[in-house]
Order: sequence, then C-alpha cells, then structure tokens
Amino acid sequence: MIVAEHVSKHFKRHRREPGLRGSLRTMFSSQYDLVRAVDDVSFEVPAGVKIAYIGANGAGKSTTIKLLTGIMRPTTGQVRVDGLDPHRRRVEVAHRIGVVFGQRSQLWWDLPVLDSFRVLRHIYEVPRAVYDRNMRLFRDRLDLGALGNTPVRQLSLGQRMRAEIAASLLHDPAVLFLDEPTIGLDLVLKQAVRDLINHVNAELGTTVMLTSHDIGDITGICDQALVVDRGAIVHQGTMRELLRSVDTRAVTFEYAAGSVTEAEALQIIAAELPDVRAIPAESGRIRVEYPVERWSARQVIAVLLNRFDLTDVLVPDADLETLLRRIYAGSPAEPVSVGDGA
Amino acid sequence: MIRAARRYAPFALAGLHAVTQYRSTIVLSAITAAAATALQVFLWREVYVGGSAPAGLPFVHLTSYIVLAQILGLLHTNRIDELIAGEVYRGDIAVSLVRPVNYALSCLAVNLPTAAVSAVLAGVPVLAGFSLFASLPVPTAANLALFAVAVLLSVALAFQINFLVGLAAFVTTNTWGIRTIKNALVAFLAGQVIPLALFPADVVTLLRLLPFQGLIDSPLRLLLGGYGDWADAGRILAVQAGWVVLLTGVMSLAWRRSLRKVEVLGG
Repeated sequence: MIVAEHVSKHFKRHRREPGLRGSLRTMFSSQYDLVRAVDDVSFEVPAGVKIAYIGANGAGKSTTIKLLTGIMRPTTGQVRVDGLDPHRRRVEVAHRIGVVFGQRSQLWWDLPVLDSFRVLRHIYEVPRAVYDRNMRLFRDRLDLGALGNTPVRQLSLGQRMRAEIAASLLHDPAVLFLDEPTIGLDLVLKQAVRDLINHVNAELGTTVMLTSHDIGDITGICDQALVVDRGAIVHQGTMRELLRSVDTRAVTFEYAAGSVTEAEALQIIAAELPDVRAIPAESGRIRVEYPVERWSARQVIAVLLNRFDLTDVLVPDADLETLLRRIYAGSPAEPVSVGDGA
Repeated sequence: MIRAARRYAPFALAGLHAVTQYRSTIVLSAITAAAATALQVFLWREVYVGGSAPAGLPFVHLTSYIVLAQILGLLHTNRIDELIAGEVYRGDIAVSLVRPVNYALSCLAVNLPTAAVSAVLAGVPVLAGFSLFASLPVPTAANLALFAVAVLLSVALAFQINFLVGLAAFVTTNTWGIRTIKNALVAFLAGQVIPLALFPADVVTLLRLLPFQGLIDSPLRLLLGGYGDWADAGRILAVQAGWVVLLTGVMSLAWRRSLRKVEVLGG
C-alpha cells in the first residue's frame, strides 16, 4: 500500500550566524548547509497494517510523512501510495488518504465543527450513507455531538484534536497518516481515539501509519514498527520482533524479610548468575538484569526459587520505552528502576 | 460542472462566513473608498478648470471614472496573495495540499464572494452618494453589456496577478515588500491613480498592451464609451481575454515550480 524506494530528501538551508553582526554578514553570503532530512530510505507497508514510524525528534519522520502525502517530492527515489505517485497525482491520492497533523488544523477556523464536516463531505464527495455512518461512529466514540456549534477557534486542544481525527476519517480513506494524533488528549480520550482507529482498521482494512512519542499510542494501535534514525531505517518488522531485539531484560523479586541481608542476596546472585546485574530496588526488592543471549527468564527464576524464600516475582514485558530511549540516544540506555509492563 | 460547484462552494461559504465575522472591515473600506474618491474628484476638477480638458476623457465622464475605479478596486482587492503567503509562512500549506482540490480554484472560491460582497456593500452606498452630488451620465445598454463582460475578465486578472504574487512566498517566505510594491504599481498601471487616457499617446499605447489595464481602464472605457467602433470594443475585450488565457498558463507553470520548493520543516 505504501512503498518507498531509496527515498532521500535534502534541503538547502541558508547558513546563519548568531548575533546581529552574524545576521548582517549572512545577508551578503550565499553559503548553504545541506540538510539530509531523509537519506536513502526504503520500506514497504502492506495494506491493512498498522505501523508505527518511530524515531527521535529530527529523525526525518515528519518529512517522510510529507513525502508520502504528496506535500513534498523526494530529492531522489520514489514513493507510491496505493500505486500512485502522491506528488504528481496529488488530488487523486488525497481522496484515498486521511491525514492528521497534531500541530496543524484542517478544520475551518471560523466555522462550527459540524459545518466543517459538511464542508469536508462535499470536498471529498462522501456518499450520504457513508457520511451518516461515520458521523454516528464519531458521535458514539468521540462524543463529537457535544462540540456542535462551537467555532473551531474556540475549542480546547483536546476537543479540536477529536474533531481533527474524525475529519481525517470522514471519507473512509484507504491509508491514514497520523502525526502525533493524541497530543493534548486525556487518558480516556486517548483510549477512545486508539479504539476508533483500531475499529476502522478492523472494519475497513484501513492502513495506518503513526508517528508518536506516546508509547501507549504505539503499543495500543500498531502491530508493526519502522524505526528511523538520522534519516535511515534501522529496524522494520513486527512489534514483537522489535521487542525481541531488546538485549537485556529484567526480573524483579521480593523475599521474606530477615531470611538474608541485601548484601548477601546480591552476593548469591553474582555467584550463581555470572554476567547478570543485580540492583537493589525500592521497598526491599531486587532487580536482576540479565543479557538475553546468556540467560533465559526461566533459568533466572529457577535460581531465585532455589536460593530465596520468594514472596513476589515480577517478570515484565520487554520494555519498549527503554528500547526507544536507547535508539533515540544512540547509546545503551540507563536501566530503569521498575519495568511496568508497558 | 455541478460537481465542481458543489466541491468548491463550501470554500466560498467558509469565506463568506469569515466576512460576516469582520463586518467593521466592510464599513471601513466603504469610508476609505468614499474619502479617496472625494479627494480625487476635487483634485481633478481643479486640473480641468485650470487648463483645457485633456483629450480622451471628457470632463462629464471624469467623476464617473473616479467613482467606478474605486469600486472596481474594491472588487479586485482579493486577499489571495496574503492568503498564500501566510499559508507558506506558517506551513499550513501542508494541510491545503492534502485536500483533493485544485489549490488555485479553492483560493478563488474563498475570495471571490468575499470581494463581491465587500464591493457591493461598500460600492453601492459610495456610488449612490456621489450620484447625489454630481450628475453621472447614464450608460447605454450596449456599453453596460460590454462593461459586464469586461468586469468579469478584470476580476479574473486581479485574481491571477495576486495568485502569482502569492506564489513568490515559496521563494522568499516573506512577501510583505513584494505585495506593497505590487499594490502601488498595479494601481498605477491599471489607471486607478491617474486615468490612462491622460498619459502621452505613446505611453498609452504601451500601457494598453499590459495585463494591468484590463483591471480598470478596459471596463471603464467600454462603459463610458471611450472606444471607436465595435471592432475597437472587441479588441479591448480580446486583449483582456488574451491576458487571462496567457496568465492561466503562467499560473499553472509557476504553481508546479512552486510545489517543488515546498519545504515545511518541523510539524
């Protein structure tokens, strides 16, 4: 559904020097820096997949979305959405995609929300039945009816984002691009938006591409992940594979008070499980971090059961947040105190 | 055609909705137009009294010319250059580009009704006011018909010129300077500041080949009978229409080139 072949996007940016003197000097210079926002990126997203496009700020996520939505055209390489070049056949592609830019509005600033939807209905030539079905869905899931006749400019950020997401789905797009879609939403609404997107994907087979820094969005919506770093793809595969690429996992346990001291416990672990890091965690717990290629969770727990009078054991999921932090930082991340199963 | 109308009509409605929110703008533009017209009328009266009437524009038509030039000016003041420049500057152009519509037509749909409404709401009182003080000659039916056609073409030209100026934003980002110069230059070359008929003959010949004269000079020559025979009237319309066709081509080329330059970084 979405194809990128050796796509690069380079910008020329006028080199500016700091300060007034620098500003004056740059008025008479024509030096440019070449910014490689996207660098030789290739990927393919099959129809019906919900994929997270993950990367640190400035990694080229937004630029890629703009290439895929036809707003910009790549410096080199090719993109295809539903078989079409989105830049050259912009209007046709626009009919088949829905886009939410978390920081820009596609609604009419001076129009009430419902009027905006009527406008969009005509622009996208949405059949009456589809329009009615979708408006009902938005009313049920996003409580859109409550926004009624308020002009868009008077909405709160959360209200506006709800309307934006609904607007992007009104014409049953084949592909939905979401750039930070849950900015400003509270926990309940975030969940409502995730449920709505999953519902639309399940019912209509909508392909979803999401960029977000919200771990909950990524794990709550996406089944695949595309990780981009400094303009290049560093990982593509299912969410499960991404999590499996975590090379350190942890087991946290609690033991009967008074049976051994903390120092003794740490010594026991060090002796029985080489290459493992044992760290005292809060309220008397101990966190055991083990390299996955050396030990399995089963082996670690077996040792713990054997040597301690266990009162509690916590074996959290591979931690996406830790993984992402490491990818973003480009270096091994600091261990987090408690894995919460995110 | 009907489908196109249904698709672009919402843009027009949205534009009108915005106008009604800013009613004071219309009142102010009426006052400005009235004041500017009064000033020009008195100024030119003095010129005509002082010397012999210049050829090409009889005194009886002068007041009509000045009043109508102001009203046409209102009809031409679309905000398209400002709109495009603003979208490019803020990066909102990204949102416009993911809509399945022709960008130029959507700009036209947003601005045209707005311009028409403000021209009528501000123009009618101004015209009525001046017809009380000065006896404005009544045009013939034929001239009125020619004028109607020329006005439509002039609106198209005004849109095209502003659209092209707006596209400059893709290159320079900030177009305030360009727009200011454009406003002054276009008003002068169109005959809004000084009727073109009052320029030296060679200059008039040259100016009447440019697109700008199609804004004010052409419609008013046709309305006030400032042409020779029917063939001459046809030529005036042909020059206007020729420019509309030519600029349509230029717009489409310039738009395609501008799109290559879209750089919306961040967000």
